[in-house]
Amino acid sequence: MESSRGLSTGNAGEAGDAGSSGNPGNSTGDGRSFSRRWFLGAGSASLLTAGLGTGLTACGSGGGAGGDGKTITAFVYGDDAVKVQQAGVDRFNKSAAAKKAGGTVKLTEVPGSDYSPKLRTAMGSPSAPDVFFNWGGGSIKPYEEAGKLVDLTEIIEGDPVLKDGFLPSVLAAGDLGGRHYGIPMRGMQPVILFYNKAVFAEHKLQPPTTWDQLLDNNTKLKKAKITPFALGGTDVWPDLMWLEYLVDRVGGPEVFKRIQDGDAEGWGDPAILRAAELVKELIDDGAFGSKFTSVSYVNGGAPAVFARGKAAMHLMGSWEYSTQLGKFPDFAKKNLGWAAFPTVEGGTGDVRNVVGNPTNYWSINARTKNKDLAVGFLKDCASKAYAQALIDNGDVPTTSNAAALLSSSPNPEYAKFQYDMVQQAPAFTLSWDQALGDGLGTKMHTEIGKLFAGQSSPSEFVTACKGLK
Amino acid sequence: MTVTVEKARTAEKPPTRHANRAGRPHAAWALPGVLFFTFFAVVPMALALYLSFTTWDGLGDPRPVGLDNWKKLLDDPRMTQSLGLTVVLTVASWAFQTVIALLLGVWAAGRQRNRAILSAIFFVPFLLSSTAISILFYALLDPNFGIIQRDTLGSQSGAFLAIVFVGGWQFIPFHTLIYQGGARQIPEVLYQAAAIDGAGRYRQFFSITLPQLRHTITTSTVLMVVGSLTYFETVLILTKGGPGTDTAILPYLMYEAGFKTYDFGYASAIASFLVLAATGLSIVLVRLTGFGAMRSTREGM
Amino acid sequence: MSHDTLPRPTRTLQPDGGPAKASPGRRRHWTRRANPVAGLGAFVWLVIVLVPIYAMLSASLTGADKALTGNPLKPPTDPTLDNYNTVLGNGFGHLLSNTAIVAVAVVGIVLTLSVPLAYVAVRTRDRWSNAAFRLFLVGVAIPAQAVVVPLYLLIAKLDLYDTLLAVILPTAAFAMPVSVLVLVGTLRDVSEDLYEAMALDGASPLRVLFQLTIPLAKGGISTVVIYSALQAWNGFLFPLIFTQSDEPRVLTLGLFNYVSQFGVNIPALLASVVLSGIPIFAVYLVARRALVGGLMGVGGK
Repeated sequence: MESSRGLSTGNAGEAGDAGSSGNPGNSTGDGRSFSRRWFLGAGSASLLTAGLGTGLTACGSGGGAGGDGKTITAFVYGDDAVKVQQAGVDRFNKSAAAKKAGGTVKLTEVPGSDYSPKLRTAMGSPSAPDVFFNWGGGSIKPYEEAGKLVDLTEIIEGDPVLKDGFLPSVLAAGDLGGRHYGIPMRGMQPVILFYNKAVFAEHKLQPPTTWDQLLDNNTKLKKAKITPFALGGTDVWPDLMWLEYLVDRVGGPEVFKRIQDGDAEGWGDPAILRAAELVKELIDDGAFGSKFTSVSYVNGGAPAVFARGKAAMHLMGSWEYSTQLGKFPDFAKKNLGWAAFPTVEGGTGDVRNVVGNPTNYWSINARTKNKDLAVGFLKDCASKAYAQALIDNGDVPTTSNAAALLSSSPNPEYAKFQYDMVQQAPAFTLSWDQALGDGLGTKMHTEIGKLFAGQSSPSEFVTACKGLK
Repeated sequence: MTVTVEKARTAEKPPTRHANRAGRPHAAWALPGVLFFTFFAVVPMALALYLSFTTWDGLGDPRPVGLDNWKKLLDDPRMTQSLGLTVVLTVASWAFQTVIALLLGVWAAGRQRNRAILSAIFFVPFLLSSTAISILFYALLDPNFGIIQRDTLGSQSGAFLAIVFVGGWQFIPFHTLIYQGGARQIPEVLYQAAAIDGAGRYRQFFSITLPQLRHTITTSTVLMVVGSLTYFETVLILTKGGPGTDTAILPYLMYEAGFKTYDFGYASAIASFLVLAATGLSIVLVRLTGFGAMRSTREGM
Repeated sequence: MSHDTLPRPTRTLQPDGGPAKASPGRRRHWTRRANPVAGLGAFVWLVIVLVPIYAMLSASLTGADKALTGNPLKPPTDPTLDNYNTVLGNGFGHLLSNTAIVAVAVVGIVLTLSVPLAYVAVRTRDRWSNAAFRLFLVGVAIPAQAVVVPLYLLIAKLDLYDTLLAVILPTAAFAMPVSVLVLVGTLRDVSEDLYEAMALDGASPLRVLFQLTIPLAKGGISTVVIYSALQAWNGFLFPLIFTQSDEPRVLTLGLFNYVSQFGVNIPALLASVVLSGIPIFAVYLVARRALVGGLMGVGGK
């Protein structure tokens, strides 16, 4: 899913340091200075004095992979959780490891709704980041193919801190062709069925464990004029979560695995059609209300509808807890309940299977001027202090020491639920869009958006998906 | 503005042979401007055409693929839908904006004090940037927390009408201004003559005001058409091309192809098509509205 | 007699006063008469303009914790400026100053390059200056969207990605065609006799430019200033694609980011829209005539 967490908030440092950062020095000494001077001469030298020109250029983030290696930049997905990374950067910059590598890390927060395109355009330019947040797998495949990633396999093998620091399954989940390109840097993000305990109590409901129970609940909720499920339809990836779980429950994890491995005919599996039909029935039945196609998750619309009791349930990544904690703390502490996605009668998928993102990763740009510094920074993610900061934020780290830290979480019960859910899952299906990568993922989003908006029928959806390439 | 220039060109005197070189600088004075514009507009346009024959993901180097992108352009059902949407949006915006701006402009051309005051207020929306205006309506139309808590942007017709309305809300003030200027240039002797013939207000409007405003209508129409071909932030902010793909007009489709799926070759094909369409439309509009005829009449003077 | 052959009076259009030379005693009769139907229409449009603005102002003064009622006309019960503080505490000043830098730089570049160009196009009139002029005539139809992909490539190669220059240079380039056309239109009105008089004094082209052409082209120049400042003020696509970090972020892009940052905090979002409008609204209050008059010039007189 596009969002690692929900809301992009809190732009630390946005107001500050305008123009004081940057790296005016990089206009000399490399091949590009020629073209820039030529271009300024041809174009605008008549107006822009040298001083003005330099000043404006320096206003940019400068540095990046084209910098001098003293400061390296790290792009991170901007949301509530960035404070954990910011604290990590601050701690690392003061550490002995940073002094030894001779530099510091500068964190650049990219607004969440736009993270992937911004990363892509930056990576194609000389001011690319040295280190960047990603979802592993398909999301970094184009960078790997373009030779823009540092292969971390040897580095991890040769370093006990990294080798033993993370859950091996999570480390491997971001792999490409059996090689490691990323270090886990955020919590685990399984998709969970959240429910509003107050609403459930009032209407004497139980979290559904089967699809029939879910439909039964829906009928009762609609009678009480409550929308059964909140859904941020404008963002499309929340729609996707429904299909991911339904396909798993109907046909098991193998169905998507086949598609992920490049077989577009896999979309023709009956489980996909069945899942799309179930979705269609839900929509027609009003399970998401009548307005969900104009509700957004990213801007906080869907969480607010859920927290205020206008909707009873919300299928969302585990970050929903910290989102609610940030926006509606009372609700998060008192009335937020969580459950596994129900089974579907006649389906073959195990109820313990999980979909979502194993975690997020830091990867290193192959063109970085200071690889030692970057690797040093990544190693900090295995530290106890970093794991503790994640725990304090309500996340469940994917480090080996996580189990021992769970009890200190602000909500140990929830942390334990999440940890066990992931630990005991026979299969963890990576979010389809991340698994397929941006190109294919976006096209799939379009088809899913059409299905949910009622512009294509389940069978048209299947046909369209088979044609994706 | 095309009209402005043509008008000016036709009005120019033939160069006099004996004219001295007073204030006649060397053509090289134009060079910095020409180079600058060439570098940032003409070269990129040529480059877009080149890229439309390649495949490029933004990271490696563009690889030539011949006509693949253009073939895809013809086959792509999304392209067909998008083209249709763009045409309908352009026509709807034109009709909405022209009718209101023309009437308001002619009305505002009057000298009454109340008209002057109202005109000043009518202008206010144009002071906001299109981004600000799109956000304003996005917020007002939020289905759960806005002022109009309906599913406006989630239904096909609602989303489409919202885009037409928001575009009009922003640009009608500007076009009103153009029509106001045009209406004030109509020679009053025409109205006096009509009044002597006993023509009423509506007769005067249709027989004098409208025909006299036809160049203004051309100018304003060209601006509107080229303008609505390029609505982008309105769509991005209000609907993200949705619901589904129901408001994904050409510029949005291009943005999505380029900066969401990183198929820059295909995006360039859409972009090249957009340039051709915009240029072609402007030329057709100028021709259709009888501009060439006017030119020859005036040259005879 | 056909009105096509009527000599059009060449009058300087005043933004508000109409033909400057009209004597008060001979006003057109038709502009003076009240028109109740048109007045009603104008009133309806006034409502359409004012209701969203009022709803925006009123919502921006509502506490963030209070749900909007759904009745746009109801005044806020407990007006508060908290939302404005929220916005101002989120880097608004920085966004505004970036936009101001972009606007000033764009206006500077456009004027510096366009004035000599238009001067050459009008005065020199040889093969080269004509070719230069035609370049811009055609350039009017290039939509900025169409070249954003190749421009991204250029900007990246020049190492300008994520700098203010990456926004300034293309914005200036795309403001040039209209600016050149407007200036050419204005400069053609400068009489040949004046140039000859200057030539008798033995003035160089540069002196003629500064002492004669520029002072007499003030109208066109102010149009160009307003037009290009408006392009900078409105620009969204170039900043969206060519910048990414906080430092070079301009106002339009900042507003766009507020959409996800403030989310359903509609009051704060609307406060940011209000704040974005204040600077230009202040300009409008102080210099309405110049602004409106300048814009009329864009549409062609």
